[in-house]
Amino acid sequence: MNFWFAVIRQTGRNLRQTWATQLITCLTVSLSVLIFSFFYLIYLNMLSVGDKLSDNLHLVVYLEDEPGPEMQEQLRLKITQFDQVEKIRFISKEEAFNRFAQQLGDNREILADMPTDFLPASIEVVPLKTLRSLRHVKLFSEYLATLPGSQKVQYGQQWVERFYSFTQLLSIIVLLSGSLLILTATFMVASTIRLTIFGRQEELELLKLVGATNSYIRTPFLLEGLLQGLAGALLGLSALYTLFQWTTHHISGAGFFNLLTFTFFPFTIISIIIALSIVLCTVGSYASMQKFLRV
Amino acid sequence: MNRQAAPPDEATSSSGTAMIEIIKVTKSYPPNVTALADISITIASGEMFFLIGKSGAGKTTLLKLLCNMEKPSNGLIEIAGMNIHQVTGNKLAKLRQRVGMAYQDFRLLTNRTVAENIAISMEVSYKKPHIIHDRVRNLLAQLQLEDKHDILTGDLSRGEQQRVALARAVANSPTLILVDEPTGNLDAASTEQVMDLLTRCNHSGATVVIVTHDEAIYRHTSHRIMKLHDGKIASLTRGTGSEQPLAADALNATDLADKSGDMP
Repeated sequence: MNFWFAVIRQTGRNLRQTWATQLITCLTVSLSVLIFSFFYLIYLNMLSVGDKLSDNLHLVVYLEDEPGPEMQEQLRLKITQFDQVEKIRFISKEEAFNRFAQQLGDNREILADMPTDFLPASIEVVPLKTLRSLRHVKLFSEYLATLPGSQKVQYGQQWVERFYSFTQLLSIIVLLSGSLLILTATFMVASTIRLTIFGRQEELELLKLVGATNSYIRTPFLLEGLLQGLAGALLGLSALYTLFQWTTHHISGAGFFNLLTFTFFPFTIISIIIALSIVLCTVGSYASMQKFLRV
Repeated sequence: MNRQAAPPDEATSSSGTAMIEIIKVTKSYPPNVTALADISITIASGEMFFLIGKSGAGKTTLLKLLCNMEKPSNGLIEIAGMNIHQVTGNKLAKLRQRVGMAYQDFRLLTNRTVAENIAISMEVSYKKPHIIHDRVRNLLAQLQLEDKHDILTGDLSRGEQQRVALARAVANSPTLILVDEPTGNLDAASTEQVMDLLTRCNHSGATVVIVTHDEAIYRHTSHRIMKLHDGKIASLTRGTGSEQPLAADALNATDLADKSGDMP
């Protein structure tokens, strides 16, 4: 019989003897993992939605008059003076009318009596992908408003601002639930191990007297912490996956959500969450052992 | 060095090495209680040794010092050449695996079965499961406890618990066996089984130290008997019984020169 066989058997014995406490700890850890990963999953999906939205982000500068070719060149120069852009496109009044008519589709008859130049000319500016923070877009729009002949600048301010503050709030919730995970995983496991140590004081004393090495006595406690972390993370993530599957199944077909594609964590993130849970629980177990296990 | 007893011939002739060296050992407890005073004795490898005396004479204290449950206030204790109170960590664990101790209060895990209790001392030295299983069965048979294999030790009688504690002490085939009052709760038949087991262990090379005040078990012995009184060696004699130790030489007269008044 080697060391690991003996230690694993000892761990199994401990778990069997204190299964009720172990189960409660495991459920607490899994609940913390669930809460944290739930918000983290929403956050990640919102970030990807944000990415998709910012792919379509462009600023529209409505002009008082339609610029001639020379004016267009001057405006282009003025815009690129502020910053590099991905694309600048001038839209004439007629082009704007045609685009609107196309958007109306079957209802385009309502435009029949309208003159083709009733919509203002505009410039569509697509900023560089790397420079799309909310602050930057705001500054850019303020600059564009100062261009000669500029009437109004639009980029869906309200919507973009709300979306960014929502993701900001989500990131705070993720941080908070992450802290909750750290606290529960570490302290719950530490407290369970402490109870186990107190409950088995007599046995630990005897093991020491019959010649058990420190590692023989300590390793099962570390393994218990490790298993708590692993089981808690697996349980929490499985619950989240079930919830995710159920939700995506039930909301498919609903108009707005159909536009978005929700994805579950990639394998790397799953591994990181499991590893984090294992490390936290093992640290909790180790801390408790250092404090209460006198061998 | 003022030893009260030098290594006897029995020891030197059986293996030539000392298993236990106790040199001028004193143990005091606060505020002012001296449990052991200036004890010196050498017990050889393969020797069977009886430690007797009234309650409170210091027998159990000496045994606790020998198994490193307590540290002496003064003096030196060596087991197999190692100062046990300076050995730590894995070395101490290895040393303890070679020492089997049956405690007066048994120290059994009452929520575990008899077999599990006996197996503990072998598990810590990573014995193979089938070896543990066979050894447990064998020991239970020797102590006529075969039917108690799967019984929780908490459900046993005191006498049965005592025998299980002894079985655990000898299970790992230690080179030194320390037993504290092994027959305190036993009837004559069980006492004989216990002494048979200890004698067999001794014959297979183990040093056995038996603490007892049960005269019946040392009355007919031919081994050395040390009597403690108020923490001091009151006498060190060789039993006059017919049973012969492994190398039964006459007791070295110099051993007991200063104790001649106590010789039987």
